[in-house]
Amino acid sequence: MSDRSSLHVRSINHHHAPTEIRERAHLDPEKAVALMKALEAEESCVSALPVSTCNRTEIYLEMRPGGDPDQSLRRALTEIGAEAELFAGLHAVAQDGMPAVNHLFRVASALESMMLGEPQISQQLKDAYRLARKHSELGPVLLRAFQGAFRTGKRVRTETRITSGAVSVAYGAVELARKFFSRLCQHRALLVGAGETGALAAKHFLQHDIGHLTVVNRSPARAAELAAELHGERVAALARKSADDPDLEVVSPQSDPCGHVSHRPWEELGEALAEADVVLSTTGSLEPVILPEMVQKAVQQRGGEPLFLLDIAVPRDIHPDVAGISGAYSFGLDDLDEIIQGNKAARQKQVPYAEKIIAEEMREFETWLDEMDLRPTVAEFKSYLEELKDKQVGYVRKKQSDEVAAAVDSSLQQFIKKVLGRSMSTLKNAESPEERDRDLDTLRRIFTEEQRKIKDRPVVED
Amino acid sequence: MVVLLSLFKVLLPLMYLVVWGAYLWLFQVDHPAPRRWSTRLGIVTVLVHVLSVVVQSFALHRLPMGAPLEFASLLAVSLLATYLVIELRMKAKGTGFVVTGMAFLLEFIASSFRTTAPDASPLLRDPGFAGHAVLVLLSYTALSLSFIYAILYLVQTRQLMNRQFGLLFRRLPALETLERMSIGAVKMGVPLMFLSLCLGHLWMYDLRGRLEPDMAAQLSPWDPKIMVSWVIFLGYAVGLVGNRFLGWRGKKMNILAVFAFAMILLTLGVVQHFFPSFHKFYSSHGMAAPAAALFPVLTVGRRTLT
Repeated sequence: MSDRSSLHVRSINHHHAPTEIRERAHLDPEKAVALMKALEAEESCVSALPVSTCNRTEIYLEMRPGGDPDQSLRRALTEIGAEAELFAGLHAVAQDGMPAVNHLFRVASALESMMLGEPQISQQLKDAYRLARKHSELGPVLLRAFQGAFRTGKRVRTETRITSGAVSVAYGAVELARKFFSRLCQHRALLVGAGETGALAAKHFLQHDIGHLTVVNRSPARAAELAAELHGERVAALARKSADDPDLEVVSPQSDPCGHVSHRPWEELGEALAEADVVLSTTGSLEPVILPEMVQKAVQQRGGEPLFLLDIAVPRDIHPDVAGISGAYSFGLDDLDEIIQGNKAARQKQVPYAEKIIAEEMREFETWLDEMDLRPTVAEFKSYLEELKDKQVGYVRKKQSDEVAAAVDSSLQQFIKKVLGRSMSTLKNAESPEERDRDLDTLRRIFTEEQRKIKDRPVVED
Repeated sequence: MVVLLSLFKVLLPLMYLVVWGAYLWLFQVDHPAPRRWSTRLGIVTVLVHVLSVVVQSFALHRLPMGAPLEFASLLAVSLLATYLVIELRMKAKGTGFVVTGMAFLLEFIASSFRTTAPDASPLLRDPGFAGHAVLVLLSYTALSLSFIYAILYLVQTRQLMNRQFGLLFRRLPALETLERMSIGAVKMGVPLMFLSLCLGHLWMYDLRGRLEPDMAAQLSPWDPKIMVSWVIFLGYAVGLVGNRFLGWRGKKMNILAVFAFAMILLTLGVVQHFFPSFHKFYSSHGMAAPAAALFPVLTVGRRTLT
């Protein structure tokens, strides 16, 4: 019988639980630490690691053989004042052993996320892991499982395209603009309207290093306010970047060539349009505000360089005739939606490749787990063989010179290495866990018996 | 040596086909396997092709660039190698299926119809030829790439105009990148062409003193092929000036690049077919019968110096 500890997960996630239940199950960092402590106090629990995000609250447990994860969890949750019954109810999912590891690897690869391939889950798992390591000592299985999960997630992100392509309107706008201008830093954007949607899209453009952003709004005060807000956020982001990377020059708001934000009065919309490469329009106007003659004039000044216009307002801000102007490329919400749907489908096609990587990592984890089982017995066997060797070498040393003894020692060392290697490989390649347990038992019995006998018997003479 | 050359003739088009297949597969399904292997396969193909050129050079005692089909084969490897450098620098494989497809086509035609040309002109053994021919090869590689990227620019423009957000839209790089690549290739090709023409003239004057009078008389700077090459050079140079100083950009500039390359193919074809030129370093015996039948342009109106 294996005496190794096992991994379990109890999860409340967006697949099985509505928002209300997920809100109730949420664990803030303080509660998560308290839960870890409470579970560690349980005799049958080696360690625990709670992960709580807006879409999931999952508690990973490493249990000693025979331990009941549900009982331990119920007691610990009750102790910290959380709703224990949620994790035993209809909305909870329980997985034990290798399925629990598989689930963790899938979560780390963003296959279980609400938005397939979303990048945040990796950071959220790392935060939970750091918190757990700071406040408790994780068991070997839990530790290894999380390390494997991070490696799996990284492989899936780098070896597949599961994270590529925008799946939100704001990011979709940036992606579409980047089909025109690969170096956004060298281009100017114009935001027409200062509403919430426009501000969000503008933030995305600034995050992707648009060279300059001009805000034009009917209310100049609101335009100035939004420009100041966006500029402030941009400067703060650059400062954070500088802090993260000491090699980067510290950027002051005035000297930053990328991401400078300004505003212009509504009357100058035509001029602002002529200066822009990317136009985002998001006003609440009932009539189009960007007219064909304005665009025609802007295009004429561009020497053939394309002008990208994106209308994310309802009703539309850009006159439909603009679409017919050569050199002007006008898109709307429907186009963005089509791109997003295409990207979602493309991500879905990457799932089999991600699952292949997960299967490979699972096999590696399983091998490690098997070796963990074998390790104590093999270590004992090794110490037994080394004891024999030392006795034999000691005998040779008495009868022969030190050089001969050293040669025998080295030769026997090689012999032990080969015997151990062969034994390990035979045990690892057992056809079933039962067969391996039987082999382990036999090996243990042989050398324990031999060890006993050897103590009563003189060493073999040459 | 003959066995080795025959082996390369079969192996090279197959290798180009595999590389093209890998890039096509990657374009179609974005599978991790071709993403991992396509570049490596391309590098191996370039190395094998270079080895075959070395072997051929030893066998023929000259650079294998005399006949148009030999030139086509070298253009294939030059295109593939240049593309791989661009891909590794820009970390973008989106245009690979087009460039490797063109390289495969060139190599397939070259290998299928080419034979070694034992009675090729002795001029090809002159050291001056190597420098001139390599520069010509590099300049045409650059202009071919400019043509490919200009075509892709127009394709992507069409996708955007028609709001077709399919595979081409997703896989092809930004218009700005395609334009930069196309113009960048012209910026490399134009000076290379200028150098190749200058070196060609110098070589020609040098040869005049060494050849017999009747042969030397055929080396004329007014050779139609040379004249057309100067016109091509001037055309591209004007394009570059327009782009740099007159703001010629975007769709119009790329249409111009496509038009310019189409004119190269057309004018060189016409010159080869209808005008006598000393730029024919081979005889019909040096070409496989099917090629002679399929490409009369290569064998008609020949006045070799041999």
